[in-house]
Amino acid sequence: MAPATAVPLEKHLPRTSTGRSVPPRIVLAKVGLDGHDRGIRVVARGLRDAGFHVIYGGLWQRPEAVAQAVCDEDADWLGLSLLNGAHLTIVPRVAAALRDWGCGDVGIVVGGIIPERDVAALEEHGVRGVFGPGTSVTAIAEALKAQVPLADLSTDEAPAEVRARIEMSRRLSAIAAGDSPWAANGNGRRSRCIAITGSPGAGKSSLLCRLLKGRPAGKRVAVLACDPESPITGGALLGDRIRMAELLPDRDLFVRSLAVPSGSQGVTPELGEMRTALGEAGFDLTLVETVGIGQGDVAVRRLANKVVVVLQPETGDSVQWEKAGLLEVADLVVIQKSDLPGSDRLAAEVHEAVNLSRHRPGHREVPVLQVSASRNEGFDALRDWVFETSMDSGPASEPDEHSLEE
Amino acid sequence: MTPATLDNRRTGPTLPTATPSGLSTPADTLAIPFAEAIGQPGTFPFTRGIHPGMYRDRLWTMRQFAGFGTPRQTNERFHFLLSKGQTGLSTAFDLPTLMGLDSDDPRSCGEVGQLGVAVDTIDDMQRLFEGIPLEEVSVSMTINAPAAILMAFFLAAARESGCDWTRLRGTIQNDILKEFHAQNEIVFPPEPSVRLVVDLIEFCTTQVPQWNTVSISGYHIREAGSTALQELAFTLADGRHYVEETLRRGCAIDTFAPRLSFFFNAHNNLFEEIAKYRAARRLWAEMMRDEFGARDPASWKLRFHAQTAGCTLQDRQPEVNLVRVAYQALAAVLGGCQSLHTNSMDETLALPSEHAVTLALRTQQVLAHETGVAEAVDPVGGSFLVESLTSAMHDQARQYFRQIEDRGGMLAAIDSGFFRREIAEAAYAEQRLFEHGERVIVGVNRFEEPEEPPIELLRIDPAVESEQVESLRRIKRDRSGADVERALDRVRQAARSPNENVFPALLEAATARATVGEIMDALADEFTRYALDRE
Repeated sequence: MAPATAVPLEKHLPRTSTGRSVPPRIVLAKVGLDGHDRGIRVVARGLRDAGFHVIYGGLWQRPEAVAQAVCDEDADWLGLSLLNGAHLTIVPRVAAALRDWGCGDVGIVVGGIIPERDVAALEEHGVRGVFGPGTSVTAIAEALKAQVPLADLSTDEAPAEVRARIEMSRRLSAIAAGDSPWAANGNGRRSRCIAITGSPGAGKSSLLCRLLKGRPAGKRVAVLACDPESPITGGALLGDRIRMAELLPDRDLFVRSLAVPSGSQGVTPELGEMRTALGEAGFDLTLVETVGIGQGDVAVRRLANKVVVVLQPETGDSVQWEKAGLLEVADLVVIQKSDLPGSDRLAAEVHEAVNLSRHRPGHREVPVLQVSASRNEGFDALRDWVFETSMDSGPASEPDEHSLEE
Repeated sequence: MTPATLDNRRTGPTLPTATPSGLSTPADTLAIPFAEAIGQPGTFPFTRGIHPGMYRDRLWTMRQFAGFGTPRQTNERFHFLLSKGQTGLSTAFDLPTLMGLDSDDPRSCGEVGQLGVAVDTIDDMQRLFEGIPLEEVSVSMTINAPAAILMAFFLAAARESGCDWTRLRGTIQNDILKEFHAQNEIVFPPEPSVRLVVDLIEFCTTQVPQWNTVSISGYHIREAGSTALQELAFTLADGRHYVEETLRRGCAIDTFAPRLSFFFNAHNNLFEEIAKYRAARRLWAEMMRDEFGARDPASWKLRFHAQTAGCTLQDRQPEVNLVRVAYQALAAVLGGCQSLHTNSMDETLALPSEHAVTLALRTQQVLAHETGVAEAVDPVGGSFLVESLTSAMHDQARQYFRQIEDRGGMLAAIDSGFFRREIAEAAYAEQRLFEHGERVIVGVNRFEEPEEPPIELLRIDPAVESEQVESLRRIKRDRSGADVERALDRVRQAARSPNENVFPALLEAATARATVGEIMDALADEFTRYALDRE
């Protein structure tokens, strides 16, 4: 299905506050074989503390996957950590991939081991800062804040599909910022939404990765991964993307990391509008990974079509969650690491809990699935549920029918 | 002037012996049971050193890490270093080799020969050590995920040159656990990775009896930003895991423990480093004798190589690095290392030039022959400060051992991200100290120079890649494809059965001129590849 073309959206420059401040977004990644990540991890934390939204891409990234990250995350900056002496090979490849994805205008900065004699060559490929060993993170943050990224000149020559994706990505940023200046193009498509929730250690991201790996052909899926925003600095370290690394680059997947302010109950409040933007761009299904702090998931019940709760055996999860009433909102429960002892028992307990506590007529049985990544078991059933079963419209619990936001 | 503080709060936990005044007294050591905790050099628990005479009888090995470009180029550097008085060899491999990729693999593009020597086949291994009498010169190889393969290449090459395996001396790093903690040179998931480590230990214990089968490393953990205490505790915990796994394999402890060796960082804080090495010896001795029941004193002795801290080198005023390295080397020697590498002053930005590496070697030679420290055995032993620091680090390391146990042991702790989190937090805390000016780095945030003349840096000729790729092409053309296929099938078969040691199959593959990448792929067919999936 061709993505809808909406009214072109100017990149938000400079980022202005519209009721909520909009922090600069930077993708940090390592490209190449080198795995030394002390520097990049320190920079990630430091920029977070300086108020940035940092999307940490991890190790061994391919240039094309990095480019997709910059596009889908609507990043203002790309920071590459290069200590392997191969910067003169890697940077041009990354620059080319960025152009392919319509992000040729993103500001590239490089950290690591770059001899002085090579800096000029890097600048020719669009690098706007080289931060060698001993550079303070404060200095990096200031340098990035001081430079305003260029306007989107490069997307004019890009193919329509590429432009449309960029525009959609920017639309999401506008929505996240509380601005919605975009004009709905009226086709009214709204991406179906499944929320994946569970305590932080339950492995939601890895589950998502496996789920998406074997998905039916042609399915275009968006993932919104929520992580908490610091209430003090406004910064965030968004690391969920790493778990999707093996799936990308893939134009049928759109992965966006969202920093969710504390008090939002684990999920972005603008989810509804984002679903519309994604739906109009041809992403029929959106998977939202919540922060999963386990409190008040009423929000997610309102904003998503279906809610999946992920638990792990041996962590006392089920008891805590029962207390929080979370199991009442689940449409599906997934027990991860089902190879661990206690999994069957947990599954049985949970099944009882979720199905006995619903006394309404027309109650649909809530399945409890067990999956094991180490044994690669149970994922087919999960995929079936996500891509087929969950797509039927359900009874009155469907928020679309009586959405509280409209 | 700010007095240097011995308060360890800046790099990690506060040690109980730290006093605000910086002065240690007899009161700090009263409670330490001398015989049990310190003893004499050469006697259990070896806190003071593993030999009674230490350097009086034999100096530490001066072993400069080297490698770049093609095997021929590295061979030239090896000969150069030996001519300058180096007493052992240490091999640095390039990133593709470290990650188990061939020089002609698309993922290797731009990285061949850049940070170390490119080795694809047994022929490269032969060229690497051409003209070097392997029965006389000890050789170290720094390689982890593909260690078993490179070891097989080395042994097969040695055999082809007529060397007797029982006379080969050296070390292979082969420490995959620290890759999961810190350095990330990972290819397979934890369990099969550890299996390969144990296969090598088992094979070489009987076949290459003078070979150090693992170099259980703290260096990289420290480079990733850990504290000295974490370096100590995590390294010893890794050692414990290898011992447990090798025992489970059915090997008797006294057959293999004497050939397990260690590798520590030599960092800035002089006395903390010395205490760390002494605590390490004590912890290992206690673990081997009391926990694992080893009877042979050779099993109790922790032997270690040290390298001065790469992460402390700076690109401003690089000659100041010479000074840093000298002090760090002093710490390693006062701490009783068996082997030492001193970094070169230009290594922040490039691999060492001949001039720089010569100076690094001279640093060790001055230390050995002019300062007199080699004449005394454990000269700082008895210092109120050093003994109390040693004892404290020993006790606190044990607390870390308990934390690891509480998390379900080594592999479960790795899976939970425990080590990575600890290290990342320590690294970040260190960075904040630097940013706030509390950690002074001379030439960088104090005592800076406005203008600095550039220094000569080693350039790796990019033609290295095409040369190596061409050489590989010729080998592939000339070898028997059928032999290689058969050998790779044997590798897969061996990998598939958990009770078989893969070495015989690896040796066969090596001899057939299979490449590192081909053999890794065969292993990956059985082991699967590890997806790094956490922050």
